[in-house]
Amino acid sequence: MRLLLWSVLGAGILIAGAAVAGTGADRDLAVTIYGEDLALIQDQREIDLAAGRQRIEFADVSAQIRPETASLSARDIRIVEQNFDFDLLTPAKLMEKAVGHVVTIVRVNPATGAETREQAEVLAANGGVILKIGERIEVLRDDGLPVRVIFDKVPDNLRARPTLSVTLETSHAGKRGATLSYLTPGLGWHADYVALYDAAAGKIDVQGWITLTNTSGTTYTEARTLLVAGTPSQVDSPAQTYNQWRPPVRRGNLEAAGTETGTRERLGDFYLYPLPERTTIANQQTKQVSFLDVHGVPAEHAYEFRNAWLASVTPAQSAKSVYRFSTSAHAGLGDQLPAGVLRFYLHDQRGEPQFIGEDRIEHTPMGSTLSLVTGDAFDVKIKAVVAKRTRKAERDWQTDMRYEFTNASPAPVIVTLLQTGLWGDARIVAQSQPSLRRSADVAEWAVSVPANGQSQVTASFETQY
Amino acid sequence: MRPGPSHPHGLRARRPRPRPRRGRSAHLIAFLSAIAAGLAGSCASGDGRAIAADLVAGEPSDLSVTIYRAPGRVGGGSIDLDALGGFALISETRSISLPAGESRVRFEGVADGIIAQSALVTGLPGRVVEKNRDAELLTPASLLAAALGAPVELLRTDAKTGRTERIAGVIRSDADGGVVFETSEGVEALRCSGLPEAFAFSSATTLKARPTLSVSVETAEPASAVVTLSYLSTNFDWAADYVGKLSPDGGKLALGAWVTLANGNGAGFPAARSQIVAGRVNHDNNDVEPVTYSGPILARCWPRGSTSDIPPTAYLTERMFKKSQDRALALVTPLAAAAGIQEVAVTALRVTQEQLGDLKLYRVPERTTIASRQSKQVRLLDRSGIPVQRLYGAELDADTDVDALAATMFLRTKNDAQHHLGLPLPSGHIAVFVPRGSAELLVSEAPMRDLAQGEELEIPLGTSPDVQVTAILQRRGATGASGADRRRIMIRNAHAEPIAFELRLQLTAGEQIVQSDHRLESKDGRPLFRLQVPAHATATLTYQLLHGHTS
Repeated sequence: MRLLLWSVLGAGILIAGAAVAGTGADRDLAVTIYGEDLALIQDQREIDLAAGRQRIEFADVSAQIRPETASLSARDIRIVEQNFDFDLLTPAKLMEKAVGHVVTIVRVNPATGAETREQAEVLAANGGVILKIGERIEVLRDDGLPVRVIFDKVPDNLRARPTLSVTLETSHAGKRGATLSYLTPGLGWHADYVALYDAAAGKIDVQGWITLTNTSGTTYTEARTLLVAGTPSQVDSPAQTYNQWRPPVRRGNLEAAGTETGTRERLGDFYLYPLPERTTIANQQTKQVSFLDVHGVPAEHAYEFRNAWLASVTPAQSAKSVYRFSTSAHAGLGDQLPAGVLRFYLHDQRGEPQFIGEDRIEHTPMGSTLSLVTGDAFDVKIKAVVAKRTRKAERDWQTDMRYEFTNASPAPVIVTLLQTGLWGDARIVAQSQPSLRRSADVAEWAVSVPANGQSQVTASFETQY
Repeated sequence: MRPGPSHPHGLRARRPRPRPRRGRSAHLIAFLSAIAAGLAGSCASGDGRAIAADLVAGEPSDLSVTIYRAPGRVGGGSIDLDALGGFALISETRSISLPAGESRVRFEGVADGIIAQSALVTGLPGRVVEKNRDAELLTPASLLAAALGAPVELLRTDAKTGRTERIAGVIRSDADGGVVFETSEGVEALRCSGLPEAFAFSSATTLKARPTLSVSVETAEPASAVVTLSYLSTNFDWAADYVGKLSPDGGKLALGAWVTLANGNGAGFPAARSQIVAGRVNHDNNDVEPVTYSGPILARCWPRGSTSDIPPTAYLTERMFKKSQDRALALVTPLAAAAGIQEVAVTALRVTQEQLGDLKLYRVPERTTIASRQSKQVRLLDRSGIPVQRLYGAELDADTDVDALAATMFLRTKNDAQHHLGLPLPSGHIAVFVPRGSAELLVSEAPMRDLAQGEELEIPLGTSPDVQVTAILQRRGATGASGADRRRIMIRNAHAEPIAFELRLQLTAGEQIVQSDHRLESKDGRPLFRLQVPAHATATLTYQLLHGHTS
């Protein structure tokens, strides 16, 4: 009996009467990854079935598999039931399941090394193990001396890892291909962009990388990999409740959404990025594959300052440093951009690229204009001052604003000044230079500030309150 | 391109036979570490792709480290050496030679805080197929997990004779910290028998000792190249620490500053070109993929109560638990234990400044070694004879009474050439000292914001109980549009010298100062009065405040 068991376990193909679906060369894996934390795995394997009813276990599925999404398809089978066993095999569980059964205990004499074997029935395993050996009752290792406990077999539904099994019926025996598909969290992808800005030419070089991360606990070997840009709708499932952090709403950086169609493969409104070759996605691995490499795209560098309400901002604050470019096929990147982080680099005086900041973009259609903020301008500062606030009438106020610009850099700059919070009822009654009312809420001035100099804009707003 | 069997655990491996071997003594304690060390050097290719060569790029020949401050710490302040919130751009040059075909080039010894998705490799002769960063590390627990279901040898040493018995078996489970294995005799649990037991694993593993970045490249013909790897890494930071020394008369300030840069990573950067960047850059909280150290192996057993441990009091249970852990369990601490920063080095190099877009780049003029878990200081600036104005001041609501308020003190100067400054001053932290005989006394510590050239610099020195401000309503104005309140402010100076005083008022909407007995000035849109208060005297200021339209 033991010999038989040993040969079975050595080959590793049968556990407790269930067939294990093969994981050899005949396996064909397809991984489709959606967004940050969801993937569809299609796992095709050769299974060898006997005629009639049987249970098949699937090893090497994602450790975070959502068992309720698993489905098996193969020629001429009928699924009876699908089980997901998550009772884990530990020494304590092993002993618990042995209660009422007979185990072999081996005592080793510490002085002589001599072994004595006895059969013992496990009476209880609560806080300590109580054994019945012949007619006496003992507590296991009560004397602290070494005692080996040998169990005949691993209980049926205890596993080292949660395991998916399918009970199925077939009318005729034989090998056939079977496809198991399921959803799993723990696999995600996003894009990463590297932009090198050439200040003299006003151009950027942009490289795009697809970054794929696997924290699902399993390695996917030689998988055909497809990445889907776009967010499929999903109801909250228990496995998805964490890891749902979203970045806070920030300044929109999509100035104008594009209307061009790219050459990439599409499926409905999703863009598809198939990886060109099969690849192994190892557990705890971050993998990057290039998908975009464009040189010499026109880009402009600008400054922006946003005053949220008709209020003073002192001491002076830095303007935001903004880079603006297009994703159009004409004078742009000529591609749609999946969501990710765009990192800007600039050559220093020795010609080495240095990092100057990054911004996050959402899925961006082709033909869009993006304006990305890399950080604050050290030398360009703005002070907003409420010069005077007077009450004209009961509910009629006049606020005189003064915006003071300083530029400590040796080049003249143009700062886009945005006064927001105008609510629609604020009327500009006087201003030192013309403004553009972007919306009822926002007025915009383009202010030139000379090199190592300063300039000033004043505006009077009439508001109802 | 579909190569043959590629499953790393080798489920189809040939079946092991029980091979009891006797007579050779083994040092069990050294066993796990020896296996680990042996495997670290012989990492096999992880996947089944047809890789022509798996090579390790040479040691970096040129290193450059540019450190950025923590984006949230804009207003100055010091850095926390135990939790560095900044980051760095690291560029390193290495030599490689590639055979024709697809090769995998591994870059070892990169910083552990590497933001893998920011990594760039330039200068490669061929096409980059993919970049990988593997964070599953070789640890006792991951070794065990990888050996799950695969044949291993169990080593059991006889405590009396020292003989080691080797028994072939299969690890059945390592779930929840307990280890169950199966041999030809049956199923057993590790370390539950009280005998010294350990596993010997087969020597094929793809796990690596350190997080490793690798690049798969395809070249048509063999090529040698010098490649540059650059990446962002977390766990760096820098701060500017200013020290101001006032002259005995209080009219001049000598300002010096250190740049303190710190590396909290386990990796060091020898002879690196070092830069720091001042100014705020946008930086997302780029999550570094967590490195899995897999946790310790606990070798938990079944319940092990005995007839001598009843009743177990809380104290006893805890002590016994600890004891049993110490003695019977192989408690393996992960490598992760991040020690605090150990070393503080001070160098006398002065950094040079250049413009980098809208930021300021400071270069350490000589190559320097940024060791692992080290903080280092380099000189930022030394300026002396800066004329400063010592002022007292108070900020009050224009229509609020104040019984007594201690005035705040501050030093004021301007960041320009006339004031012996005129250079960008990155934000940080300033400490001001005054001489007292031969010693110096700390009078203030304050944060500094980023100051561009031409901006005013005010250093707060705290409050002075010797200068007290009182504000009263002297006469209530008539009700109606034209009625103005008459208010009086008194500033009492207990000093033996006259002081300069600045009073700033805060007006609510519609309020207006219509008359005053001192010249009314305006700063940042707010009313300001400048007064001289003689020694041991009181200065008085009156003004009339109009409330504007009232209903």
